[in-house]
Amino acid sequence: MSARLVMKLRVAEVTKLTPEITGFRFVHPRRPRLPEWTAGAHVDVHLPDGAVRQYSLCGDPGDRSSYRIAVKREDGGRGGSAWLHAHAAADMEIPVSAPRNHFHIETREGRHVLIAGGIGVTPLLALARVFARENRDFAFHYCIRHPHKAAFVDELRELCGDRLTLWVSDEGAMLDPLALMDAERGAQLVVCGPAPLTDAIEAAADQVGWPLEAYHTERFTALSDAGFEPESFQAVIASTGTELDVPADRSLLSVLAENGIELDSSCEIGVCGSCECGYLKGDVIHRDVVLGPKAQRTRLMPCVSRAAGKVVLDL
Amino acid sequence: MTDKPEMTEAFSHPAAKAAIGTEGGVTGWKGELLHIHIAPKASFEMEELEEATCVAGRGIEGDRYFLGTGTYSARPDVREITLIELEALDALARNDPPLQDGPIELLPIDHRRNLTVRGVPLNHLVGRRFRVGEVILRGGRLNFPCKYLETLLDSPVYLPLYNRSGLNCGIEKGGVIRPGDEIEMLD
Repeated sequence: MSARLVMKLRVAEVTKLTPEITGFRFVHPRRPRLPEWTAGAHVDVHLPDGAVRQYSLCGDPGDRSSYRIAVKREDGGRGGSAWLHAHAAADMEIPVSAPRNHFHIETREGRHVLIAGGIGVTPLLALARVFARENRDFAFHYCIRHPHKAAFVDELRELCGDRLTLWVSDEGAMLDPLALMDAERGAQLVVCGPAPLTDAIEAAADQVGWPLEAYHTERFTALSDAGFEPESFQAVIASTGTELDVPADRSLLSVLAENGIELDSSCEIGVCGSCECGYLKGDVIHRDVVLGPKAQRTRLMPCVSRAAGKVVLDL
Repeated sequence: MTDKPEMTEAFSHPAAKAAIGTEGGVTGWKGELLHIHIAPKASFEMEELEEATCVAGRGIEGDRYFLGTGTYSARPDVREITLIELEALDALARNDPPLQDGPIELLPIDHRRNLTVRGVPLNHLVGRRFRVGEVILRGGRLNFPCKYLETLLDSPVYLPLYNRSGLNCGIEKGGVIRPGDEIEMLD
C-alpha cells in the first residue's frame, strides 16, 4: 500500500482532440513543480460524486509543470468520462492524485515495440516522448478506426517519424500480431488498448511462446471473467495470527476494513492498484489487471482477488 | 462517509495523566498562531484558512478528523487539533541536526498539522491547558511523525521530525481562531 497525495489541481487547458476525446492539462495553483512521474503512470481523478477514475498521463515526464490526460467519452461507462467532458472547464479545480506507475518500462534495455489501440495510446505516447528524446530503438504501432477519430496522430508522426505505423481499420489495414512478433523477436512488447486488441496480441504471444518478461500490458477495464464463482476462504494476518473468514459474497478488502485494517482503495474493480497488499503463503486467485506474473507471487489486490483455502497476508 | 473517529479526551490520555501530576514546564512565555490548515479528507493536500471554527470535543470545522474522513488507526486517540512549532520547521530547513542529506523545506501547508505556531514550547504542554485566542486547548500527547507523511510528501521527513513533530490536543472551549492570535499558558 502506498498513500498518494491528492492535490486540487487547476484545469489550465481543455482541448477537443476528436469528437469523442478531450485533452485536459492540469497545473498546481501554488507549486511550480508537480510530483515526478515516469512514462506509463496514471493519476486518480476524484469526481464530485466521490467516484475516483484512473487516467494515464500522456504528457512529457520531463515537464513537471503540468499533467496532461486525454479522456474518451464513454457514454455507457461509469460516468467519470461523461462528467469530465460535460463539466471540466478551464480554471476549475479538480482533486487529482500524485501519479502511480504499474508499467515501469523506461528503464529496460534494447528495442521496444509499442502497440496502442484507441485511447490506450495515452501511456505509450508518454513513453514514445522519452524514447524519442533518448534516441532509443523503438517502433510505434497505432491501431485506429479512422485518422479523424484518433487522438495524437499528428503529434506521434512528428515524434516518431518513420518509426510510426498507423493501422487504420476503416481502410482495411489491420495489425497482424503473429507477423509482427515474427519480425520483432527479441524486442520488448508494450501493449495498451481495448480488450479485443490486447486479447489478440496475448493469444499470438501464447502461440509463439513470447517470453513473459518481454511482454508488458496495461488494461483499463476489469478482467471479464463473468463465469467466475467466488468461494469463501480464510485470511491470516501474519503479524497477529488473526484468522478472518471471507465469505463468498464479500471482498477481502471489505473484510479487512471491517476488522480495523483499512487499506487504501479506489476503483475496487482491480484496475487501479491502490489496495495492493503482500502475502506470504497461499494459493491466490488473482483477478486484477495490475500485477504482472512476477509480482503475483508475493502481492495481491484484495478488492477483487481471492484465495483457495487459506492465505497468509503480510500485514 | 465514515463515522467520526472515536476521540480520547485529552487529559484522559495516559501521557497527559502522567504529565498532569508532574512539576515542570516552561512558564512566562507568549506565542503566536501563524497558520491554520485543514484537509477535507485523508491524503488531500492541506488548505490554509483565514479563520477557523474550533468545536469542543470535536475538532476544526471542515477538517478530516472533524468530518471523520481522516487516516486514523482503529484505536481512539487525541487528535481534535494538532500543532507544530515553526522553530522545528526552521531546524529542518537548516539541516539541524544533520540527519539527512541536506536541508528539508517543510512548508506549513505540507506538514499536515493544523496550527503552525511560533514561540510556543509544545513539548512542555502535555497535560497543560493553554489558550489560542479565545479557544482553550488541552495538551494530550506529543505527536510523532508517521511514515505516511514521508510517502505523501516524497521527502525523508520522518527522522528529522522525531521529538519535534508537535502536539495533539483536545479542545476544551471552542471558538474562532485566526492567524495572529496570541497563545499563552493558562495554568
